[in-house]
Amino acid sequence: MSEIDPITITRRGFVKGGGALFVSLCLPAASATYTAADPEQLAAWLEIRSDNSILVRTGRTETGTGMSGYYTQAVAEELNMPPESISLAMGDTDRTPDGGYSAGFLFGMHNVRKVAAYTYQALLGLAATRFGVPVSSLTVVDGVVIGGGKRITYGQLVQNQHLDLKIPVTGRTARADPAAWVGINSLDGLTVSGDPPLKPVKDFKLIGTSFPVPGIPDKVTGRTHWSCDVRLPGMLHARMVRPVTLGSTLRSVGKLDKASFPTAEVITRGNLVAVVSANEWEAINAARSIASETQWTEWAGLQGSENLTQTLRACTWGSPESKGNAADVAAALENASQKLSVSYEQPYVRHAPIGPFLAVADVGADGSVKVWTHSAQSQGLRARLAHMVGVPVEKVVVRWLEHSGQYGRTTLGGDGAEADAVILSRLTGKPVRVQWTLQEDLAWSSASPGWVSDARASLDSRGCVTAIHSAFYSPHMFDPRPLGALLAGMPCNTSKPGGWIATEWPYDKIPHRLEEAYGMPNLGAECASGGLRGHIMRTPGQRQQNFALECLMNEAAAAARADPVQFRLQHTSDRRLIEVLQATSKAARWESRPSPRAADGNGTHIGTGRGVCVIVRQNAYWVGIAEIEVAPDTGIVTVPRFTIGVDCGKIINPRQLRRCMQSGVVMGLSEALKEEVTFDTGKVTSTDWSRYRILTMAETPAIEVVQISRDDHGFGGGSEAANAVVPGAVVAAFFDATGIHARRIPLTPAHVTTLLKTNRAASLSAG
Amino acid sequence: MEDELQLLVNGSRHDVRAAPGTPLLFVLRNELKLTGPRLGCGMAQCGACAVLVDGKEIRTCVTPATFAVGKHVTTLEGLPARWARKKGLSPADAANTLHPVQQAWIDEQVPQCGYCQSGMMIVAVQLLERNPNPTVAQIKDAFTNTPPSPHLCRCGTYAAIIEAVQRAARAMR
Repeated sequence: MSEIDPITITRRGFVKGGGALFVSLCLPAASATYTAADPEQLAAWLEIRSDNSILVRTGRTETGTGMSGYYTQAVAEELNMPPESISLAMGDTDRTPDGGYSAGFLFGMHNVRKVAAYTYQALLGLAATRFGVPVSSLTVVDGVVIGGGKRITYGQLVQNQHLDLKIPVTGRTARADPAAWVGINSLDGLTVSGDPPLKPVKDFKLIGTSFPVPGIPDKVTGRTHWSCDVRLPGMLHARMVRPVTLGSTLRSVGKLDKASFPTAEVITRGNLVAVVSANEWEAINAARSIASETQWTEWAGLQGSENLTQTLRACTWGSPESKGNAADVAAALENASQKLSVSYEQPYVRHAPIGPFLAVADVGADGSVKVWTHSAQSQGLRARLAHMVGVPVEKVVVRWLEHSGQYGRTTLGGDGAEADAVILSRLTGKPVRVQWTLQEDLAWSSASPGWVSDARASLDSRGCVTAIHSAFYSPHMFDPRPLGALLAGMPCNTSKPGGWIATEWPYDKIPHRLEEAYGMPNLGAECASGGLRGHIMRTPGQRQQNFALECLMNEAAAAARADPVQFRLQHTSDRRLIEVLQATSKAARWESRPSPRAADGNGTHIGTGRGVCVIVRQNAYWVGIAEIEVAPDTGIVTVPRFTIGVDCGKIINPRQLRRCMQSGVVMGLSEALKEEVTFDTGKVTSTDWSRYRILTMAETPAIEVVQISRDDHGFGGGSEAANAVVPGAVVAAFFDATGIHARRIPLTPAHVTTLLKTNRAASLSAG
Repeated sequence: MEDELQLLVNGSRHDVRAAPGTPLLFVLRNELKLTGPRLGCGMAQCGACAVLVDGKEIRTCVTPATFAVGKHVTTLEGLPARWARKKGLSPADAANTLHPVQQAWIDEQVPQCGYCQSGMMIVAVQLLERNPNPTVAQIKDAFTNTPPSPHLCRCGTYAAIIEAVQRAARAMR
């Protein structure tokens, strides 16, 4: 295939009434991946229609953070169109061309922006020919091209024609690949290549304004068609009957009482057991009845969550992924005036959406598969399902609809109810809707693994950090295998359980550092269900590793008797970090002094404190400042106020960014104070909201937001990492309030009571 | 086997058949196609399924449909009409008017994934019908301590909800 001029429009033909410009992909010639699919059949990325409306198609989806608004703003900006004329089609594999994961907008927005930029050049070319004037003489206002004393709308330019524009892309659509690190060959989908002229940031009119996120009115009025609302003719409702432990295998299935459940049926394949019925309530009751009579083998391959740290300590870890210079760090530690050597830890936590997993599948007699889902990776899911049932990806269609948030657990295209639904639809020959229960979701979905981190720092005689060494130990964080495939014994690729250093380094003035990350398989990996399947969760890896790093910085500041904000300023020369630290601490009315806060006359800490934490992630700088109160009699930590600041380059939508920052604080605080997955020797035990506790509204602080927008640093990740500055800030504030370094989260009342008691005992014996 | 029930939902009368004990949620969603209330926990611990029954919030995931017989049920879909009735709006005006709570949810850009928000708006309406000028502490209390459980949002929209309830309160006064 020869190089195609990306801004040449071809006319496919003339049409009476209507007309449109279709902007589609020019696929790379060398890629053998495409032999199975005819590129001409791929849906256009963007359509400009004669009625002046624009349809943008992307395989990426709205995850609740406002992606659909940002994409609309980006396209409207490049095309000089009113955003109201643009609609989005998202996530359907048969209707969108590009694929890719939906967590984080940076990459996806870059794509749609370039698509729009190519299209803009093409439209200018059309208008220049029409008017007989050079392109350089044209201007566009609200979708009207003006030049040579004439005006024409985009719609009029394409009127009565069928025009094609091919734009160059690289990349691959997702296919199952056992050799790939997450079991599919591509998470990114297709990337627009070339360099079409993009509108300079200084000329932005729409990006930087609080354009309303498009889907919200429908969510508020009940018009949204959610994935849980899909109803197909002849559809069966299914409820799953899960094994009694993670490693149990099926011995015998309970017998269904047909008198009580006349339309229900029990379906099994391997260790996958389900009850289906045309009536949802009957399916629920029949599944309960079957569950109580179904026999499973016993399994006790876990050590219990109360022994998690010892379990992790006892594991064989192999060699780590490492970054930094071990010899320099060792020498710095050797020559230190002061040395710190501490360990931090956190139990398993999980995504825990309000709506449990759900999917609808319809498998045709010819083996074709159609699935309705809320996965954040439609193409990746398509690849995994095709692999599971052994059909080419072209035979699988994934349709995306809104549903409860996922917070990372479907970003790799696995986990979820889709595999269950496909297997049951194949076995029954009917469309099947699988609704997981909350208990099932909290017990069987993948989770963010527990970890321990050993951290060391050296300080010189001036109280400056000269070196940091961190060693992070965590089981597998990338296991996207769908439970249904695992239990049914059907093909599914896993990922490679290695260590992963996820930090971005904010302190360039610390001369030496060594980071090591150790990985291993899931706990209980040897059993058929895969054990405690570990997965990425909001700000994955970096959330945990940065927490340890920032806790260490706070301990180092205390060792140096330095104010924690000043201490950070002293260790960086990055202007952006310095400015957002200064702006956020000013908004928080930060009083410069070392932690802990001075004890009162009786030597008792008065129970209030403040603390700071920063993170640098994806071209964004975040600062969190917590103000907390510790009740010594109950161990309850409350957070009356939290200030969060960000510099994420050019801010696209200040109001939605504010919402994402506030909600990130809530999620981070939930993790800092409450969340812990508990398990016994065989199964997860934190299986409802009274046992897996998340933050409530009453526990939500007054949240102050600081935003710095810059025109000269591109776009940054403006939502995700808001959660990651919270636990570190809370732990620092706890030290400020009590003089105790809490090196494990969550700071539950029980944990805090123990810390206070241990500290009291220690100071008594010291006194 | 099935009960015949007459339900009054959002001002309309519906004759439905349901097996004894069927929770109201499944009747609303599967029989009446009212998809505002959604299944969350299925055990009255989260609030995603909340509706108003005679002006009081109930969790439809655990409440049998028979409980609603002879009572007025309002779902998310019925909030505009509830407001129109209260204000005596003409049919023409009513058709173009959302409940001020819904309008505030849009204006304050509250929902993220949005899954819990139908239930959140139901609590807000219940609160503002009883207390037209709630303080932040009263708002937090209503969303957290009203039995049977706190209303949970995993995206973390609590701060946005507080701002939206305050906006709605101003609009309803």
